[in-house]
Amino acid sequence: MDRRQFLRDVLLWSVGASLTVPRFNIITEALAADKPQALVSLAKGEDYFALVARVLAPLGGMGKFVKPGDKVVIKPNIGWDRRPEQGATTHPLVVKALVLQALDAGASKVLVFDRTCNEQRRCYANSGIEAALAEITDSRAGIEHVDPRKFVPVDITRGKSITQWEIYKDALDCNCYINVPVAKHHGLSRLTLGLKNSMGVLGGNRGALHQNIGQNLADLATVIRPKLTVIDATRILLRSGPQGGDVRDVKKTDTLIASADPVAADAYATTLFDLPPDAIEATMAAYRMGLGEMDLARIQVVTA
Amino acid sequence: MSQPLLRPSLWRRLGQCLFLALFLFLFIKTDYAGRDELPWAVNLFFRIDPFLALAAMLAVRMVIALMLPAALILLLTLLFGRFSCGWICPMGSMIDGSRLLLRSRMKVPNLPGWKYALLLTLLTASFCGLPVAGYLDPFSLLVRGLSFALHPAFGSATTSFFTWTYQHAPAWLNAITEPVYAVMKTHLLPFADKVYDLSVLSLFLLLTVLGLSVLESRFFCRSLCPLGALLAFLSRYSLFALAGGGEDCGKCRHCRDICRMGAIDEQRGISTAECILCLDCLSQCPRSRIHYGLRKNGSGMQATDLSRRGVITSLTVGALLPLVLPTRLLTRNADPLLIRPPGALAEADFLCRCVRCGECMKVCIGNALQPAWLEAGLEGIFTPRLIGRIGYCEYNCTLCGQVCPTGAIRRLSRDEKQRTAIGRAYFNKNRCLPYAAGVPCIVCEEHCPTPEKAIKFREAAVVNTRGEQVFVRQPYIAGELCIGCGICENRCPLDGGAAVIVTSEGASRGGGKIREGY
Repeated sequence: MDRRQFLRDVLLWSVGASLTVPRFNIITEALAADKPQALVSLAKGEDYFALVARVLAPLGGMGKFVKPGDKVVIKPNIGWDRRPEQGATTHPLVVKALVLQALDAGASKVLVFDRTCNEQRRCYANSGIEAALAEITDSRAGIEHVDPRKFVPVDITRGKSITQWEIYKDALDCNCYINVPVAKHHGLSRLTLGLKNSMGVLGGNRGALHQNIGQNLADLATVIRPKLTVIDATRILLRSGPQGGDVRDVKKTDTLIASADPVAADAYATTLFDLPPDAIEATMAAYRMGLGEMDLARIQVVTA
Repeated sequence: MSQPLLRPSLWRRLGQCLFLALFLFLFIKTDYAGRDELPWAVNLFFRIDPFLALAAMLAVRMVIALMLPAALILLLTLLFGRFSCGWICPMGSMIDGSRLLLRSRMKVPNLPGWKYALLLTLLTASFCGLPVAGYLDPFSLLVRGLSFALHPAFGSATTSFFTWTYQHAPAWLNAITEPVYAVMKTHLLPFADKVYDLSVLSLFLLLTVLGLSVLESRFFCRSLCPLGALLAFLSRYSLFALAGGGEDCGKCRHCRDICRMGAIDEQRGISTAECILCLDCLSQCPRSRIHYGLRKNGSGMQATDLSRRGVITSLTVGALLPLVLPTRLLTRNADPLLIRPPGALAEADFLCRCVRCGECMKVCIGNALQPAWLEAGLEGIFTPRLIGRIGYCEYNCTLCGQVCPTGAIRRLSRDEKQRTAIGRAYFNKNRCLPYAAGVPCIVCEEHCPTPEKAIKFREAAVVNTRGEQVFVRQPYIAGELCIGCGICENRCPLDGGAAVIVTSEGASRGGGKIREGY
């Protein structure tokens, strides 16, 4: 082989190799087109613990989302130093039931956490979630405080407004991420639901996201992808959100909403506040990016 | 001859270790423990400090019930002598401990009179309106150094180390280091990283006290400690004392050589004022002549180390110093950014009671309370103030009032606390995004903790920085609802200073006016 031959071979092999490498860059907009109809499950009842199993049933139960041996992250809203009846945090019974369901489905580890706004120990204690999970003796399940070492910078390649943010490693490194927001009022974004709840896995100066909150949350939703969203609307905070504090602002609605489609779950939950889904900027932005369905006419709602 | 189980001086050392361990345990436990009320009397050491008790009571000119346990120490001192310095005082134990590092070879002359002069000056000044006893109290010095500097430094150093192993070490090593880190985090380290103003100064003062032993062993205790002075004054009259040596000991002066307090004179007489009952002499006397027992008439009673002239000078200085205070600008115009913790008394009373122990700043769950420098005047150094940009006051938290040993910060119920305004926020519309740039934000409104939000907003049509007509929500403070917690200032997402700032306006305790003259 002479030099000329060698150069020619190298050139040809390189061209050939790079042409045959499949370059998948399928845009989710295109994928969304062939998706089956979005399914939202709805369950009402006063036994919030039992309600969880009921709301998951039409979706195929927890076993549809959690496979044996899976690492599972359950992310409730524990953002504020408030008691369950004040409606600012996810109901402890809902969280506990979800953890037990995931354990029953064979999860190897179930981790619960939230990066809180108020002091974390106070939030974990007063929300009742820490105590509810302490009743679970299974060592596979645990609630832990956010460890600042675990925030890693993540590129948001499809982001229209933000291109990089620090995200909690465990939320990305799991087989099943379950988002469990509480439905409530919010001064800036009008409501806080599933997409907004994702802020609890973010590091950095989260306040800086508020200047274009709708698009920012949609951008984040391209990388933080829950397999399952369970919206706690057992009681909803109608005013003075997201913290509330006055039980007169809380309405008992005894409802859980679950869906594999994060946008559809938010869209449907918005109607509980007598608002149309497009009243929430984040839902709109996520829908436009093809992250889920928001048209109520195209969402199949099953009452469990 | 039956040997005792342990030499008496070892019993004393054991006692020192136990009390130091108790002190450190209570120090670590000065933190939120999962419920609103603290389960431990974490301020115990301050409440048995008779010097601080006396100074605070003289300053407010009334009996402070919280500090009455200090009388117990006085009583025990009258019975047994100055044992607290040798057995209980954690600062004394640390000074003894640091002797392993610092060998005193300088042998400067004893200056036992200084501490009495300091004691008298500080007490008189406290009574006359310059309450600075806490600057020199050994417990206050120690807790400040630990809270503001050593403990946070220990925390950040440990975290740095375990962050390094977490990020770079192999998995098998992490299997060992991570559990160790978890245990340390639960039991030893500050729960979250903390920062403090004056951390370097506090550490410097603590190290100075320890380092003074280079001059002479226990130099601080011998010559400077005002608490030691008070106890020394009382133990002159104690019922029990060490005694035994005398002329017939001949040339042996072993006891005198080893005495860490320089309490033994040429004739082997032991000064009950200076003796802290470390029992080294009793343990090491070659002829076992020294015994602890009921004092014989007049033995060990030595002339006071402070002359009559010294007493008069101390009293005069203490009484005259406060006269200069009303000449300062503070008298007319208190610092508007001096935000005191919820439940703090009106400024003059607050300064009189506060003993600069640092407990409130240690326990502050939001790291909001910071030691003041000169914002509250020369007498206000190390008093707590809220700096919103560093931390904010948690709406449901009442810990600072629970740990205050003197009631300078009143103990408030959760309801009372939530009705107590420590200040009030205002907006700087030149910087606040919805006003200045037409950009939506209201992070402050989201975080405002009062059930009816003290930060409200109006929809306004404005032209933004790109020249577009937009609708934004512009925040404003609903005056009476604001309690000044500072979370808005803390969470304002702007770089380089918040656009919403808390001032002392509207504080429930009244303005920051200080005492005018006597």
